[in-house]
Amino acid sequence: MLKCKINGKEMEVPQGTSIIEAFKLSGQDIAHYCWHPGLSVAGVCRLCMVEIEGQPKLQIACNTMVQDGMVINNNSETVKDVVRWGLDFHLINHPLDCPICDQAGECGLQDQYMQFGKYDPEMAERKVKKRKVVDLGPTVVLDSERCILCSRCVRFTDEVSKTHELGIFNRGDRSEIGTFKDRPLDNKYSLNTVDICPVGALTSKDFRFRQRVWYLKTAESICPGCSTGCNVNVYYNEEGLWRVRPRHNPEVNGHWMCDEGRDTYKYVNRKARLLEAKMGHRDNWTLESPGAAAKAAGQKLREVIEAHGPESVALVLTGQYTTEELETAVQKFKGDLGSSLVYHWVNNPESFEDFDGILLRGDKNPNTKGLLKILEQEGVSLTWKDLESRVQQGQIKTVVVAGPENQSVFPDFVEKVNLLAGVENVVWLTACPHSVLDSREKATWQIPLKTYIEKAGSFINHQGKTQSFEVGTVIVSSALTLAEAATLLVGQELEVSSGDRLAELTRKKNFFTETRGAL
Amino acid sequence: MSIVKKPKAISNWYLPGILSGMGFTFKKLIKNLFNPKGMPTLNYPEEHYQYGPRFKGNHVLTVKKDGSLRCTACMLCATNCPADCIKIVASEHEDPTVEKYPISYEIDMLRCVFCGYCEEACPVDAIRMGPEWQTPALNGGNFTYDIQHLAYRPNLKGGIQSRLDDEERHKAGI
Repeated sequence: MLKCKINGKEMEVPQGTSIIEAFKLSGQDIAHYCWHPGLSVAGVCRLCMVEIEGQPKLQIACNTMVQDGMVINNNSETVKDVVRWGLDFHLINHPLDCPICDQAGECGLQDQYMQFGKYDPEMAERKVKKRKVVDLGPTVVLDSERCILCSRCVRFTDEVSKTHELGIFNRGDRSEIGTFKDRPLDNKYSLNTVDICPVGALTSKDFRFRQRVWYLKTAESICPGCSTGCNVNVYYNEEGLWRVRPRHNPEVNGHWMCDEGRDTYKYVNRKARLLEAKMGHRDNWTLESPGAAAKAAGQKLREVIEAHGPESVALVLTGQYTTEELETAVQKFKGDLGSSLVYHWVNNPESFEDFDGILLRGDKNPNTKGLLKILEQEGVSLTWKDLESRVQQGQIKTVVVAGPENQSVFPDFVEKVNLLAGVENVVWLTACPHSVLDSREKATWQIPLKTYIEKAGSFINHQGKTQSFEVGTVIVSSALTLAEAATLLVGQELEVSSGDRLAELTRKKNFFTETRGAL
Repeated sequence: MSIVKKPKAISNWYLPGILSGMGFTFKKLIKNLFNPKGMPTLNYPEEHYQYGPRFKGNHVLTVKKDGSLRCTACMLCATNCPADCIKIVASEHEDPTVEKYPISYEIDMLRCVFCGYCEEACPVDAIRMGPEWQTPALNGGNFTYDIQHLAYRPNLKGGIQSRLDDEERHKAGI
């Protein structure tokens, strides 16, 4: 450990820590654009200047290592003056059109300008005009004028995604970010470049101009896109979710997440959701509130068990639910209904073990490990073949399916529904509707469930790491969780939770009031 | 707490009270007949009070030279609005120098408190508070003004041009 003094505060940092990291550890502010904790050091923005006692010139904090006994400060007048001038150089060609820019509100340059900016620029020359609204690829739009050439995105494609699409072209004030011969920036991690862009040069096509960021609140969650279980921040307002961005967790995802995971907000919003329970069959559906429909389905389940015995009812589970929900569902099903027919729906067995070397995994369920653990704990070891043969023999009269909330990653969805076409009663618990379910010929209950952002629980990722999350926001308030649905299905009543928890949830802290604009 | 005045004996003689009151009325009537300009009241539907140029009346969205909206949908007016009455939906413009424009801009006039913060917040002089204030409507009248009304209502005669000009701004390198 090395001893150093940062702005008068005594610190101990490990060997090999750069000064900027020491600043971050001490919790003090330091201006920087090109430095990013997940990327290599470039040292191009020249804004993280610090004064080191005993050294005549100022040094950049990102590329200077802490040495024993260093006395560092960044609040002297010399440093402030240098930062002010450095900022003025950055703003020579950067347009100050923050009102139109999509980064406004979470832009480091904007914050720095408000804090240090020389409001009267001393450049007499006109700003250089560059390309605007350049279509870089399927996900990203570039505005070269706003780019301050920090090279974070270039380093990202070189070091993390290793696809090397982006580069800095031309020289001097004509230099700009681009792709070679305008080839598209098309990789599975391209939207991370948008996250790390400290200004509004790279923007996401999906989120661009949809919302101003200061209208959105944020909640911490876990990405349900695959078994990696990336830690994410979800941005929402009263209309629903708007975007998903990665949250730093060195053990799971580092600073990044894939583009696929960013789409997981789409099926959560009301437009894509099943809002009311549907009972009946093809062309003859009655709408009902979810709780009442679950009770009605439970009544039917018990009638079937009385007539044909408990082995005529089966439960199909997917790894898209929290461990707690799955545990309750299996326990209720085995304990209260007495049926031991619990099956695991594996969506894409051939690509189940795939891994692209960065984050994306072939197993598209966030909680397969959790489901397997619960099945093992409850002593269930039935294969899918067993269900198929039982269905074909007509032994099974009723199937309860905890269907996937993210249907797009279940390529065999239609096939599995068709497999159950001959079953008399199907209780399909799902967050989103599907046309195949609507065209079922026999009795069906479609009961809306909550999605990952609307419930608390935990996922066990591919490493076996348990990650818990809290309720972020509620989109369909009447929808049930799997545990609630299972309780109603076996004929029990729900416990009414106390108001304290609700009050706690509504008093959530707002990210933007605390760390708005942090890089 | 209210003050109860006990009727005095003289108020039972009501005629002197009426006569002094009528005297005052007729004095004013005759004065106004011979000197109508001294009257403080206006004959409202025929006569209008002219407010000062800084009066904050109904909103106007300004337009550019070509008649398109000046607004860039930055939503600073909506952010600043204390009554939360401005709803904007932004979209991508075909012209890369314009970049962003509102496809829907609605002001709920019944919620508006005419504070003028939107006008102050606007960085591009796209919204102004005009002189117009007499805009009644019958039951079921529409008080949620959209772009068509805010920028192109008939009495604006094709829209009010903004002082700022995009091309000039561009040439100046702003």
